[in-house]
Amino acid sequence: MTLLNAQRISMQFGGLIALRDVDMRQVAGETLGMIGPNGSGKTTFVNVITGHLTPQRGEVHFDDISLLGRKPFQIAAAGLTRTYQAVRVFSELTVQENIATALVDAARPLDSDGVAETTEWLELRHRLDARAGSLTLYEQRRLEVLMRLVQRPKLLMLDEPVGGLSSTEVRATIDLLSELKARCTLFVIEHTMKVIRELADRVVVLLAGEKIADGPPAEVLADQRVVEKYLGSADA
Amino acid sequence: MTGLMRRWLAHAIFALAAFATPLLLSGNRYFAFIAGITFFSVLWATGMNLLYGYTGLMPLMFGGIAGISAYVTIGLSANGWSFWLAMLVGSVAASLVGIVLGLPALRLRGFYFTLCSLVIQTVITLAFVYFVNLTNGDVGISHIPLPELPGGRQLAGTAYELVLATIAVIGVVVLTVIVESSFGRRLTAIREDDGLAETLGINVTRQKLAAFFVASLFASVGGALYAPYVGFISPRSFDVLLSLNIWVMVAFGGRGTIWGPVIGAVILAPVPFVLQDYYTIKDVVYGLLIIGVVVLLPGGIVGGVKRKGRADAPAAVAKQAAPVR
Repeated sequence: MTLLNAQRISMQFGGLIALRDVDMRQVAGETLGMIGPNGSGKTTFVNVITGHLTPQRGEVHFDDISLLGRKPFQIAAAGLTRTYQAVRVFSELTVQENIATALVDAARPLDSDGVAETTEWLELRHRLDARAGSLTLYEQRRLEVLMRLVQRPKLLMLDEPVGGLSSTEVRATIDLLSELKARCTLFVIEHTMKVIRELADRVVVLLAGEKIADGPPAEVLADQRVVEKYLGSADA
Repeated sequence: MTGLMRRWLAHAIFALAAFATPLLLSGNRYFAFIAGITFFSVLWATGMNLLYGYTGLMPLMFGGIAGISAYVTIGLSANGWSFWLAMLVGSVAASLVGIVLGLPALRLRGFYFTLCSLVIQTVITLAFVYFVNLTNGDVGISHIPLPELPGGRQLAGTAYELVLATIAVIGVVVLTVIVESSFGRRLTAIREDDGLAETLGINVTRQKLAAFFVASLFASVGGALYAPYVGFISPRSFDVLLSLNIWVMVAFGGRGTIWGPVIGAVILAPVPFVLQDYYTIKDVVYGLLIIGVVVLLPGGIVGGVKRKGRADAPAAVAKQAAPVR
């Protein structure tokens, strides 16, 4: 079943074309990876899908409802949520309060057992009373995910979930995310190819606002154009 | 002690003190009047706290909204309306205006909204001066009659101060209930990061406007009761200085806490009366106080005490070292 269907998305900031006729489909249960150089339009794409930006052209359907013109809070209620490239939690509030805030207007909130279980799973239970701003980056990343999961999203868009993490933490995050795949559909923007290789069922490559490749990771990451324009010889 | 009792203990003590004060001071009209003005300050500081402390918006047109309510209430009363009905209509009308004046907050944050609200306040003050037919302009309205009570008696003296005490107590209770409700949680989320709040499903626009409505109700109920209590209003009564004075009380006591602004109001509201004999340096003292608060007590009195409490706990040392945003 098609969960997310974006068609011919075009987004322009003044003279700068950030996205040009980008098509993208994601079926429920499929983990989609999005890669591309800095400035290729990945975050802009997520911003368009989640209602933070209105594209000049294009259509977005999620779960058979049109998302264009809807505000981020309405899109969240429809079951589509996202995290940010730079970690964002309510840093002056405690972890517990952060979770409660995520629950306050959740359309399909987890019950309290579910919240406790998810908190335990993300290893944040011992931090419930800590101020979120005092957590380590890795803990904050997990809190971000927890705040989304208590809302039981159908699709979770993660914008560079391992950005700034150490290699051990990256390893642990990949393991967490592979378990997470069983809980909700994931869309992952990443620069770390290890994450994409291990998690993604399919990869989309953006270059200067255009989609240049779309397919299984092994195929896409070996694609001559992708190697030339983005990966370079080192990672390939 | 049951949880319920503990939860409301501070409120009970505050209510007792609030009701006892006018009774104790009933022998001295001057002191009783200072107490009355302090009750207005508690109410207003509590209302501004909802916006400034809990929603993160500093509304410098707060005084103007109180003024709109005062003028509407007095205008309607002068046309034969019962004071209480006029006050109801005036307060709701001013609060609806408050929502409209809060619209810029949907686009502007922090300092930029504050600047915008300053301009709005200035325009309101100019409007009070300009619409002479309704407000009697710069001259102001004097000899405002006291509100009538059922049975033809007038609300005056200690009874008036008891009404003000009641309103102040209700204000603090209402804020407490709001802060502990999901509405309060949404507002705090908006204060911390409104973009993240929206991503988590919170309708930021609606919540901000609701906050403006409720805070404006605090302003306007106070404004309506203020006019007959003092007996005289002019555009000066509700200018930016009123907004700033209330802001200082909130900041001085500790914004974003229930009791901080109450303490700020109780300490600062009597200051102008105390300093009356030193009117040449009054503004200097007040100015120094504002600077002192901003520099020395960024979290206010209550905020400072809380921070100290946290710093004493070993786990909190790392927090203190973290850079302040």
